[in-house]
Amino acid sequence: MIEAQDLRAGYGDGADILNGISLTAGRKELVTILGPNGCGKSTLLKTIAGYLKPRSGGVKMHGKDVSTVPIHEKVRHHRVGYVPQTDNVFRSLTVAENLRLGARGLDRATTARRYDALMEQYPVLASKQGRKASALSGGERQILSLARALIAEPEILLLDEPSAGLSPLMLHEVFDAIAGIRDSQGMCIVMVEQNAFEALGVADRAYVLSLGQVAIHAPARDLLADPAMRALYLGGHVA
Amino acid sequence: MSDFLIHVISVSCIYGILALSLNLQAGFTGLMNFGLIAMFGCGVYGAGLVHRFGLPVALGPALALILAVLMGLFLARLGRRLSTDYWGIATLSIAEIARIFATNLEPLTGGAQGISGLPLLFSGLRPWDGAARLALFAVILGVAWLICERLVRSNFGLGMKLIREEPQLARALGYDIDRIRSTVMVIASVIAAVAGVLYAHYLSFVGPELLLAPETFLIWAMVIIGGIANNRGVIAGAFAMQFMMAYVPFVKDYFALPSDFVAAARLMLSGGVILGFLLLRPQGIFPERVGGRHDH
Repeated sequence: MIEAQDLRAGYGDGADILNGISLTAGRKELVTILGPNGCGKSTLLKTIAGYLKPRSGGVKMHGKDVSTVPIHEKVRHHRVGYVPQTDNVFRSLTVAENLRLGARGLDRATTARRYDALMEQYPVLASKQGRKASALSGGERQILSLARALIAEPEILLLDEPSAGLSPLMLHEVFDAIAGIRDSQGMCIVMVEQNAFEALGVADRAYVLSLGQVAIHAPARDLLADPAMRALYLGGHVA
Repeated sequence: MSDFLIHVISVSCIYGILALSLNLQAGFTGLMNFGLIAMFGCGVYGAGLVHRFGLPVALGPALALILAVLMGLFLARLGRRLSTDYWGIATLSIAEIARIFATNLEPLTGGAQGISGLPLLFSGLRPWDGAARLALFAVILGVAWLICERLVRSNFGLGMKLIREEPQLARALGYDIDRIRSTVMVIASVIAAVAGVLYAHYLSFVGPELLLAPETFLIWAMVIIGGIANNRGVIAGAFAMQFMMAYVPFVKDYFALPSDFVAAARLMLSGGVILGFLLLRPQGIFPERVGGRHDH
């Protein structure tokens, strides 16, 4: 579903942040991108999403070259959902209004059906539909932004550090929700994460980046089981 | 109604149109345009140039619209490369450049002397010409208000507000923020230019002093006093500011102050209103209505 080939990208006239990264992610697969700060994780996701144009290399989705297709067109025409790391809800809008924003382009009946299904799936949102998003906790906002991306039934979901700023309890709730989406809806999910152990606990495969290149590409369970890899790239201790 | 009152209300209507234009940009889309007067200038000089070169008066609005569309697109294009703060400074600079061009391109614009003798609207209807002009301005203000209201209540208007709140998130929801910005800038520029054409034919004169930067800040004061992102509010703000400005000379006469006082007091009034409202009531007299429905 996603095929990134030899990506090079950077900001403005600055040096390359991505130095030839290749990545694939398929249907019903949760792929996580890990690595230390500044290694290019978020830049890679932004390049795949279309916030940033690659300087060379390319990105294919559903077999089509979408390297230069901007994010708003991917969302509207290529069934892509994107959840940013921070500022991921409109705080002045209610939970219901935020959720309906994701249903742009859907007819009223489909929107209502999907809305009801998501309310059932995420009771934490159902009880706060009329509240302003600014009144939600960090974890609830993450769930809301996930649900908003899901209302349009995307086939590809791109998540930028969904656990950022969450308490350990909410962190598990958010990761369970993400794994649930993969299992129940057969989506292709690419997730950038700092919490490596938790991410590997739910992911199928992982790419560990270092200095803008893929240092390790392996099944998530292999990475979790390998003490040397943990020491080198994942913080050095067992969870 | 006295001629003075008709004059003040007429000018208030023209400034009301300008306030609506600024409100579309700054109020609803978060585009801090400090060079609105350049868009207005497209209108005044569109009408003025047509008159100067002996072309039919009806070509004035057409030329003004062409200049306004180009100005709107240029400023929007600039916005793709600059962050909001720098873009605001750039708009101020562009308006100043436009004024300097108008002052120095004498063969084209008449230079500092400007262009005079533009046909006065409804001059054949004396003594009712003032009332006729006022009626025309009021109708155009009403149409501009209707256009702005329809726009901000549409799905497009929702996109404008989302861009104002969280532009990157709006993109992730499928909104093409460059297209929305360009469309807003063009519509707002055309609205400001319409005000410019009306003003040129109201004063029967066009000159670079109409493009001074304090005029932009006067319109900002109207928007802030009335209530940013509230179309009715900014029209009320335009009337309030114009009436205050109009009564400054009476204050000068009453206290026997020197004539320099008028210009200085008007500047102080704009600045004081902006500062006072930003500190004490930033939402203005009529705050933005939050949570309104948008047509899909």
